[in-house]
Amino acid sequence: MTLTVALPSKGRMKDDAIAVFARAGLTVSAIGNDRSYRGRIDGIDDVEVAFLSASEIAREVGAGAVDFGVTGEDLVRESLARADERVEITARLGFGNADVVVAVPDIWKDVDSMADLGDVAADFRSRHGRRLAIATKYWRLTQSFFSTRHGIQLYRIVESLGATEGAPASGAADIIVDITTTGSTLKANHLRILSDGVILRSEACLVRARKPGHDDDPRVAALIEAVRSAG
Amino acid sequence: MPEAGLPDFAADLARALDALEAPRVDIPVIQPAEPFLDMAGEDLRRRIFLTESETGESLCLRPEFTIPVCRAHIAENVATPRRYSYLGQVFRQRREGGNEFYQAGVEDLGEPDEARADARAVSEARSLIAQLTPGADLKIILGDQSVFEAVVAGLGLPAGWQKRLIHAFGNGPALDAMIARLANPDASAQPDASVAGFLARGDVAGLEAHIEQVMQETGYSTHASRSPAEIAARLIGKQALDATRLSPGALDALKAFLALDVAFDRAAPALSDFARHAGLDISLAQQAFEARLDALSERGEDLSSIRWRAAFGRPLDYYTGLVFEISAGAHNLVLAGGGRYDRLMELLGAQEPIPAVGFSLWLDRIESVRAGK
Repeated sequence: MTLTVALPSKGRMKDDAIAVFARAGLTVSAIGNDRSYRGRIDGIDDVEVAFLSASEIAREVGAGAVDFGVTGEDLVRESLARADERVEITARLGFGNADVVVAVPDIWKDVDSMADLGDVAADFRSRHGRRLAIATKYWRLTQSFFSTRHGIQLYRIVESLGATEGAPASGAADIIVDITTTGSTLKANHLRILSDGVILRSEACLVRARKPGHDDDPRVAALIEAVRSAG
Repeated sequence: MPEAGLPDFAADLARALDALEAPRVDIPVIQPAEPFLDMAGEDLRRRIFLTESETGESLCLRPEFTIPVCRAHIAENVATPRRYSYLGQVFRQRREGGNEFYQAGVEDLGEPDEARADARAVSEARSLIAQLTPGADLKIILGDQSVFEAVVAGLGLPAGWQKRLIHAFGNGPALDAMIARLANPDASAQPDASVAGFLARGDVAGLEAHIEQVMQETGYSTHASRSPAEIAARLIGKQALDATRLSPGALDALKAFLALDVAFDRAAPALSDFARHAGLDISLAQQAFEARLDALSERGEDLSSIRWRAAFGRPLDYYTGLVFEISAGAHNLVLAGGGRYDRLMELLGAQEPIPAVGFSLWLDRIESVRAGK
């Protein structure tokens, strides 16, 4: 049986993933031309590489359509319900670092913590005739952080597929849940991360689909071991 | 032929509902999703079946009846008091049990005698369940948010803290965290340097003007979201909230109240003992509590079979008073749940306050108790 490893198909993520694999002694090469979406690992016949977008990789590993994938933990936890039952994060790879955070307008000087935000959310409807609106593309992460971790139920999610950090100033939403690496984009938009507002410290990971066949497959253990030592 | 999936006792239940002076309402299966998400919060999104109309309106399969029954009542501008009953399928994503199952229930809107309406809801739910599950040992648990509100007010906490505690009522871990925080306030939090001066001087007008100026300079609207006045007012109030510490006596009183768990025929003396020991005047809440007790007695309910659990509540902001649950069977399946939701009608757009109480029955669970599971 062939093992399939999904790697990011473009950009820094692709280069960094291939570099980690190279350090692990696994040389990835594309089949055909450079832009090909299929690849192989030199010297290993029964491992196939599929180049996919990072969010597709999270879904495909979750569905068990591929055996391994390199993608951000944020995408894994956002696209899969009960992610830990379906996939295993076998190695953290030290690149693609980004935090998923709750950020409010900096001028909300009375809101430092999630508890403060809970107070504001509880009163929002009676003051403004609508619920507190959160712009985000991270529906699942937002819901579990607000509802389960902090007991905050009274808010509405406004879907945002780009330039989320502009939503509070434009009036499209009151606050945001978004990804940040240096925080400079948030700062430029006069937003501030709450003191306990980091939902997830994400980085690129080697993610394995939980498949029963993996348990006694020496190639699976060898691949994990090699990538771990290189990560 | 019975409708697919309708339990075999549905005809008996329909007849029993008809005897309750609560005309049956028909509620469309496909509902606008907004009111449900708006009332119950985003967390509901994962548990309902959402779809979209051709024009982009968010629709869902009805996940429950209370909200659509209340909306229909408001839309048709019906005079109150008015009672409704329903029996039909609801659709929810559940980990256990099917995704479509039947519920039946009663909504009682606008009855001014709240004790009487509360007692009627508990009593009707109990009697319907008893008819459907002969021989089952029913457990009834009852809670009352308005008593908790009176206790919290009696402890002399600032309004912000009262709101926080009431908001968390029914959510044990959240409430415990707040009580721990009230025992040990975090004094380290300092206001932001840009506003500390205004706060120290008590310069409210200056603070507001400062916030407004920053908002304008940074391109934030001063009215689309939180206004400068709102932020300034909460900043000032927050200082008091952060510094609030409950005395050991008040903390003990709060904990003692939340630990109360007694048979309902002992509830009135237990509550007055508590109030006397704690030195709290909660007599108005006590009167309402006792009026409900009396009304239940008058209906012939066996008070010793009902438990009052002071910490029992639902952390949804439209529930205001009574909540109850009836369970049975080896797994203590909840067969019926109900409560008073006086704030819901206005949240849904009613022009004036309309007191409301209701209950619903879970027919799939009643079926498993009947089957002896």
